[in-house]
Amino acid sequence: MAWGFLGPSVVIFALFLVYPLGRTVYLSLHGNDIIGRPNRFVGLSHFTEMASPEYVQVLITTVVFSVGVVVPGVVGALVIVLLLEGVIRGQKFLRGAFAVPFAFSVASASVIFAVFYSPGNSVLNGILYRMGLDQVPWLTSQEMALWSIVITTVWMNLGYGVLVLAAGIGSIPKEVNEAARIDGATGPRLAWDVTIPMLGPQLFFLIVISTINALQSFGQIHILTSGGPVGSTTTLVYSIFQDAFAYGTSDFGRASAQALVLLLVVLVCTALQFGVIERKVHYS
Amino acid sequence: MTTFPRGRGIKAAALLASLGLLLSACSGDGGGGGSDLTAPGPDVLDGLDEAVQVEFWHSMDATNGQVLDELIEGFNAENEGRVEVTGSFQGDYDTALAGHRAAIQQGETAELIMIYDLGTQFMIDSGQTVPAQSFLDEDDYDTSTVEEALLNYFTVEGELRSFPFNNSTPLMYVNRDAFEEAGLDPDSPPTDLEEIRAAAEELTVTDDDGTVVQYGFGAAVYGWFIEQFMARAAVPYCDGANGRDGRATEVLFDDPKVIELVEWWDQMIEDDLAVQIGRNTDDGQAAFTSGRAAMTLESTGSLGGFIEQSDFEVGAGYFPLVGPDDPGGSIIGGASLWVNGEGHSPEEVRGSWEFVRYLLTPEAQSVWHAGTGYLAVNTEGYDGPEAQERAEESPQFSVAASQLADSEINENTAGCMMGVMSEARVAAEEGWEAALTSDATAEEAMSEAARGVSGTIDEYNESVED
Repeated sequence: MAWGFLGPSVVIFALFLVYPLGRTVYLSLHGNDIIGRPNRFVGLSHFTEMASPEYVQVLITTVVFSVGVVVPGVVGALVIVLLLEGVIRGQKFLRGAFAVPFAFSVASASVIFAVFYSPGNSVLNGILYRMGLDQVPWLTSQEMALWSIVITTVWMNLGYGVLVLAAGIGSIPKEVNEAARIDGATGPRLAWDVTIPMLGPQLFFLIVISTINALQSFGQIHILTSGGPVGSTTTLVYSIFQDAFAYGTSDFGRASAQALVLLLVVLVCTALQFGVIERKVHYS
Repeated sequence: MTTFPRGRGIKAAALLASLGLLLSACSGDGGGGGSDLTAPGPDVLDGLDEAVQVEFWHSMDATNGQVLDELIEGFNAENEGRVEVTGSFQGDYDTALAGHRAAIQQGETAELIMIYDLGTQFMIDSGQTVPAQSFLDEDDYDTSTVEEALLNYFTVEGELRSFPFNNSTPLMYVNRDAFEEAGLDPDSPPTDLEEIRAAAEELTVTDDDGTVVQYGFGAAVYGWFIEQFMARAAVPYCDGANGRDGRATEVLFDDPKVIELVEWWDQMIEDDLAVQIGRNTDDGQAAFTSGRAAMTLESTGSLGGFIEQSDFEVGAGYFPLVGPDDPGGSIIGGASLWVNGEGHSPEEVRGSWEFVRYLLTPEAQSVWHAGTGYLAVNTEGYDGPEAQERAEESPQFSVAASQLADSEINENTAGCMMGVMSEARVAAEEGWEAALTSDATAEEAMSEAARGVSGTIDEYNESVED
């Protein structure tokens, strides 16, 4: 009887999680023919091939990108929400306004930023020019391109962060704030010692979710730089895409091996976050 | 109330999970083709109960897609009750090819597909299609009016493999207004790198602070251009006579001619005569149409869009040479049409061919060329009313055709035939871009990129020779 109820979820679990995972492991151990069908067992060679400077660079890019996206994204959302706490009139409207980027799809946001950054016709460079400042090679310099994508991603993520934290701040009991005020806490002191700790669960949630999102970012990279210039914006996910689908390739073996590495990275990050940060989170 | 014993339940779950693995292990075989793929005669379409359905996968959207839809409608109207073609847009060329691979795996290919030039060797190796030659032989089709350079590209080992359709060559585009302002003659645009630089020095405009407001030159870092420059300098792109005499084993884009080109390009950017564009051709087009760059390189297929989008007069000239003594010549680009035979009935195969034959008529080609700017595959198409009208309106439309007509037909202008051509193009772009954006010299960057491709070629060759 119990299995009767469990059955459907076991089937779905097996079909959408166990099977794809098993298939990925299988593919990662095989070489492909030109159509992408696995046709020979190659053992762990896809994994050993990854021990190359190019691949280490991909991992470094992934880490830099993720940290660059998560830290400003979470801190930015927190600052906005805290500042809005002091605004009495129009607070709801402003919160809504700041949450708007959340409503943009990755594709449309990326296309807008592509216009801002477009080499030769950059809207941002036009503004800089009017202000008498130097032009920035947003997408054409190996040093700058990754940061241009980081800026885009932070902007896209900010709305969600504001939504989550605004909801969190609304759920802090009034008595806590009143008690702190009676004790003489105001402004930054109140924010740092009372509001932020009380937002712990929301902040933790936001950090975990935006880390996973950052590690899985694809659309903005694809639309803005396609991983270039010279691989400087190729993250793990983008590298998987390039091996599996881009440029008429169909190296599903190598792509699957990388997908397993990605899985491992996400797992380790999440486990670390649960182990380190969650201990400090205060659940009321 | 009964319950299942625990042990059996777990076994069932394990079985289910391992079933997945088992299934995946089985999917490794099957397919491959190689059976009797020849063209059926016209009689297979006689006395049908209902029209044969032909699905046509293509990569034409926007204006080009509309023109194609018109042609499909025209064909369907002529062939009611016999053949009915349904066009299906599959995304860009790369996406369409990826989709086609998946379709081969599942044994559900479309009847007719459009595949870009770089996929040609892959299409031959996957053995799914009926060689174009076989249709020509069956119908005694006269190819004398078909553009020779196109036949040259799609003929492999003496046999035409697919039907050229949406094809183009790149041109040099100039901003005629900017040329006149700078005191240059827009009717004789620069023809080689040195002349472009000289013109760019005149065309580049800086403001009082020294910021460039108009660059002389600006084009995308696009691998196709390297292929063109090499063909025009009579340098093969890969060994084995551009892969036409046997399988290519290495690419040759670390040739001194290419190094010269990349060094020149780097210096142009360094000296603020050219704008740094990156690899996205849309950005190159935008830099030209907005007036930021007074000269650019692009496909003939962009001509219509350029004229429409820019508020200056657009001029077109031959694609430049690296050095003044290069012989010239031009490789075509674009896509061709392949008729799938594997898993399709003779009626479907015949129906696909009849549609292709319709597309190759002078009438259809006139509409196609005038509407899109692509070459008329059938050169009689240039005499059609639509094409004539277009040529009168904008004489730039005839530049591509004459560039091609002036081109010598040999293995260099046939272009490289290789299974991993798209990866090679990307590698060339990366080497080129590395030279422009890092301290690496052009020579280091291009030879490293060329070396990188060798491994990919070996892997591909091994996988098809087994």
